[in-house]
Amino acid sequence: MNKMKHLLYLMAVVALGCLRPSTTLASSHREAPLISNDPLADNTDVYAFKSPVNSENIVLIANYIPFEHPAGGPNWYTFGDNIRYEIHVDNNTATKGDDIIYRFTFTTTNQDPTTFFNIRLGKQNQKTTYTCERSTNGGGTFTAIISNGVVPANNIGPRSIENKTVGLGAASYDALAQQAITTASTGEKIFCGPSDDPFFVDLGGAFDVGGFRSAATARDGLAKFNCHSIVIEVPVSMLQKGGKTVAQAANILDSDYVIGVWASASRPAITTLSTDGTASMVSGNWIQVSRLGMPLTNEAIIPIGQKDKWNAASPYDDVQFAQYFTNPELALYMDDSQFGGAVPGLSALRIQTKSLGSFDFRNAKSGLFGLKGTPNVAGTALAEAAFGGVLLPDATSPRAVDILPIFYTGVPNLAPYQLATGKNGNPLAVGKPFINNFLPTLGDMLRLNMAVPATPRNDPKFSSLGIVQAAVLGLTDAAYNGSTALQMIPNMDGFPNGRRLEDDVTTIELQAVGGVALAAIGLFYDDYTPGSSPSPVTAKLVSTLTFNGGVTKNDTTFKAGFPYLQSPWRGFNGPGYEGPSVITAVEPTILKTPEAVMVAGPNPFQSSVSLRYKLTIDGNVVIKLVGSNGRQIDLLDQGYQTAGSYTVHWNGSYLAPQLCLASLTVNDKLYTTVKLLKN
Amino acid sequence: MNRIYLLLSRGLFLLFLLLRLASISYASSHREAPLISNDPLADNTDVYAFKSPDDPNMITLIANYIPFELPEGGPNYYSFGPNIRYEIHIKNKTTTTGDDITYRFTFSNTNEDPTTFFNIRLGKQNLKTTYVCEKSTDGGASFTTIVATGVVPPANIGPRSIEDPTLGLKAASYDALAQAAIATATSGEKVFCGPSDDPFFVDLAGAFDVGNFRPEGNVTNAPKDGLARFNVHSIALKIPVNLLQKDGKTVSQAANILDGDFVIGVWASASRRQIKTLDASGTAAFSGNWVQVSRLGMPLTNEAIIPVGMKDKWNATTPNNDLQFASYFSNPELALYMDDSQFGGAVPSMKALRIQKNSLGAFDFRNTQQGLFSLKGSAAVAGSALDEAAFGKVLLPDGKSPRAVDILPIFYTGVPNLIPYQLATGKKGNPLAAGKPFINNFLPTLGDMLRLNMAVPATPRNDPKFSSLGLVGAAVLGLTDPAYNTSTSLQMIPNMDGFPNGRRLEDDVTTIELQAVSGVVLAAIGLFYDDATTVAPVSPKLVNVLSFNAGPTKNDTTFRAGFPYVQIPWRGTNYTKKARF
Repeated sequence: MNKMKHLLYLMAVVALGCLRPSTTLASSHREAPLISNDPLADNTDVYAFKSPVNSENIVLIANYIPFEHPAGGPNWYTFGDNIRYEIHVDNNTATKGDDIIYRFTFTTTNQDPTTFFNIRLGKQNQKTTYTCERSTNGGGTFTAIISNGVVPANNIGPRSIENKTVGLGAASYDALAQQAITTASTGEKIFCGPSDDPFFVDLGGAFDVGGFRSAATARDGLAKFNCHSIVIEVPVSMLQKGGKTVAQAANILDSDYVIGVWASASRPAITTLSTDGTASMVSGNWIQVSRLGMPLTNEAIIPIGQKDKWNAASPYDDVQFAQYFTNPELALYMDDSQFGGAVPGLSALRIQTKSLGSFDFRNAKSGLFGLKGTPNVAGTALAEAAFGGVLLPDATSPRAVDILPIFYTGVPNLAPYQLATGKNGNPLAVGKPFINNFLPTLGDMLRLNMAVPATPRNDPKFSSLGIVQAAVLGLTDAAYNGSTALQMIPNMDGFPNGRRLEDDVTTIELQAVGGVALAAIGLFYDDYTPGSSPSPVTAKLVSTLTFNGGVTKNDTTFKAGFPYLQSPWRGFNGPGYEGPSVITAVEPTILKTPEAVMVAGPNPFQSSVSLRYKLTIDGNVVIKLVGSNGRQIDLLDQGYQTAGSYTVHWNGSYLAPQLCLASLTVNDKLYTTVKLLKN
Repeated sequence: MNRIYLLLSRGLFLLFLLLRLASISYASSHREAPLISNDPLADNTDVYAFKSPDDPNMITLIANYIPFELPEGGPNYYSFGPNIRYEIHIKNKTTTTGDDITYRFTFSNTNEDPTTFFNIRLGKQNLKTTYVCEKSTDGGASFTTIVATGVVPPANIGPRSIEDPTLGLKAASYDALAQAAIATATSGEKVFCGPSDDPFFVDLAGAFDVGNFRPEGNVTNAPKDGLARFNVHSIALKIPVNLLQKDGKTVSQAANILDGDFVIGVWASASRRQIKTLDASGTAAFSGNWVQVSRLGMPLTNEAIIPVGMKDKWNATTPNNDLQFASYFSNPELALYMDDSQFGGAVPSMKALRIQKNSLGAFDFRNTQQGLFSLKGSAAVAGSALDEAAFGKVLLPDGKSPRAVDILPIFYTGVPNLIPYQLATGKKGNPLAAGKPFINNFLPTLGDMLRLNMAVPATPRNDPKFSSLGLVGAAVLGLTDPAYNTSTSLQMIPNMDGFPNGRRLEDDVTTIELQAVSGVVLAAIGLFYDDATTVAPVSPKLVNVLSFNAGPTKNDTTFRAGFPYVQIPWRGTNYTKKARF
């Protein structure tokens, strides 16, 4: 066994060497027909992770409004009026529905309706404020915990944000954003505002029928776009069902610390447009129009015919969609008996057809169903007395054993859901624990065990592959693979145990559909033959682990502290251009005396022209006249001059009509250029 | 007089050269009002109307919708929305109220394979869109179907979706797919509805950071085209002139190239049912009357002329009720930024643009000043368009609406071939004298439309004198090019078919409109800038205005030589990247 571990380790190191780049789809940007036409209510991503700076805090982020162009004026994006934005938390399977709900309601006002600019002269149009309410009784009652929240302006540019006359006069955009961070009356830190969209994916490749590309050719379709974020940093004790702190957890996989998180946007059922452009009237019940828990569910698992229904459904009614998880469409493209041959972009991913010589996990195959009710599964999660009814429902739902629980229940720290480490070749044996985010509500949520510590972002073992990488380390790293003892393996705080901003969820999910979670718990790939293969780390496993969708990280950094997201991309970058002014023959009033100034007249001129210049320093003066073709016409003056006023007369009657430029240089420094028109 | 011509000629010719090197811009109407910015499918972004460069007897009308379509914006790529009425409206006479011709497009989409999340897979297409085009020639009272089974090509997703014979649609090329979607209506029009490159160009970031323009060619900070590499959905029509002309006449029957009977006014709109009802199963139902939610005739009106408090109202209003908005044209907000007594000093990027405050030693066109009002009813304006017997009431309404004489008519009535709206050429220093004709798109309906005189020939796109400055370019030639500036006779000056006489895809309407707000049209007709003298009307201030541009001066790709002229949409998988901000 030691020999085998050594081999495993060596091969994994090889695999990891190739792992650098990593896959992706846009998490939920324009993911369903109806919501794709209602951007303000379009929930694009949800994140839930242990705060990297405070082990007792959890960070929840819900993003809305996909593809915000940083220069998308004059009506920049903001949270919509008449929309309920909500973040839902379930911490207890004994209660029905949500245990905690944060509800955000936004209001926009125009401070100066007489301009078409968004910001002008210190006034801001479409200025957005919000109320945050919280319910801890399943939505029965809500209490306002922030009543005067401010959404920062969009990052339009330096004139709108920092300029003291024409703009808001802020010290910096970041200062404006920091000021908008509010502490709720109940203690949560909250931010609502624009930010860089943290998601990354090769949209163009992914949706051209799975045309995934290598890192060299893949392009992040979300690069340089902003979104609007709702961010909450909340103490674990406020989310944990018994009010406990992390310090009170039995261990880092304590089952009592699992939360399920999802977000939504709802609109009133009836919208009546006015005929005169005044605000629409809304009435009726609130109807959920967008929701998101696990990334990419409605993007790449739910088929188009069901997408709108998915958005309208509550995660507590998700059983109706279970078939799309137990036989996921994506699996068809990783199966040579289906469309595998037609999708070369996914050729590195091939689902087990005869794992351990017998188990076939391709769509509509029996998977582990043959074990149902047998003594082999007694005492495991697969036992009928445990969750066999869900995990092994029938002989044609092979992925009810892995993909379904990842999305619908979380994964318990029970056999067979432990790493192959220590299992001695039997996947049903006890192995090394690596995950417990089990909260069996049978619905799509992002489930996080809050007891798991954060992996420091600067840890050399930090990986955007989340739990997949924790599994690789638990199987191969000598620090972790020597025993079945529960240890904190780096990235156990990563997706799908919650979701960090860095996590490459597209790659992880594609690898998962490719059977990587099955392999991690000992249901190895087809090219591993028990008894004869030297190692379960076979070519197919390496191929799966080294696969990625092409774009493996965000196009900018994250902030070290709250709200963790990066400031939104600025629309206008660089220095402002100043237009030419008209040179008159009158010497200008000099307010702050420059070292050298020059004026000319008459302008336009026909024959002679006079150039007057004034120096407040001594130095070598050069005055040149350059034509419209860029060539020098004449050198008008050259030599050492002391401070004072001087005039040069020049006769240019011979000159063809054109626009020319006279420049004044003192001590090799260009001070001024005067535009002269020869008529 | 010859001397003035000569002077004008020399100075302006030089400027004209400068103009060709350099050339202003805003997003025409992309996310231009609060409500519509959240309803992209119904957001009308631009309207074009031009003489077809490949057929003098044809007019091309294009209405674009859905701003900022990311070429790889899947899995639910953009398309025209069902439950929306997309319409192109045409006025060709002032004696009727309402539209003389209306083209109405109604789209439906279906999923050929609802079991996949891909848009196209195995030859099947989801959200596949088809349309019906109907036409009304009786002011919308009755409609006749002229295209019953129109097809909208899919988004240009990538080679696997479009060309792959197994997985995709097996098209020879995207272009072939698009060409195959061109329909001929029963009434003779060529019709295309589908995705295309957004032909508009503008430095959005610069324009809307309180006027932080970056002209093309400046050395401080290069401009960025905020619409580069985005697609839109276009409705394009190629229509024989005689189907649009009020009496059914062809171009060859026109009295001359500025025949007043050949003027049409064009605008487009999108309407939705008044009531939308969502239900808990993920469907939406639509009922009630149709309500206009977006409209566009002249570019940038609702972007940069109508203030935010009125933008939604503007979108809901039809052009025959536009008089309520006239104050925003007769005293445009943009003019405040070109006026040192207002906010001019706070907008350095527009320093080159300064409105006449003492033109010809007498006329002040800054906001709330008199403009030409002192001439009202005087003998000086007798027989001109400014005469009370003519259009004096509109053009010279009061002593504080200075731009009712230029900006208002450009947007609301078109400009007649009448004194004083002729070029300074031949006017001998008197703007109220007869000059050289250069425009007649006068259709005084008092509402915002894109007005085109269909009798004006197209300027070939490869003509060395072709200019994206449209009529401003034509005015410069008419004043300075010896081929045109020696007489007051009516001639075809290149670019007389350009904006604001209609709008070609190439026209840099942002630059043209900013120059217009700063008084360039006034200068063209002889109301020169403050620093002009009788010997040198081409003053430095005019040079500054004409050499100003707002940023990108042309689209980020080419146009097609033939219908539908707009370029095929950028492909999701491999379009070349370009910075947009």
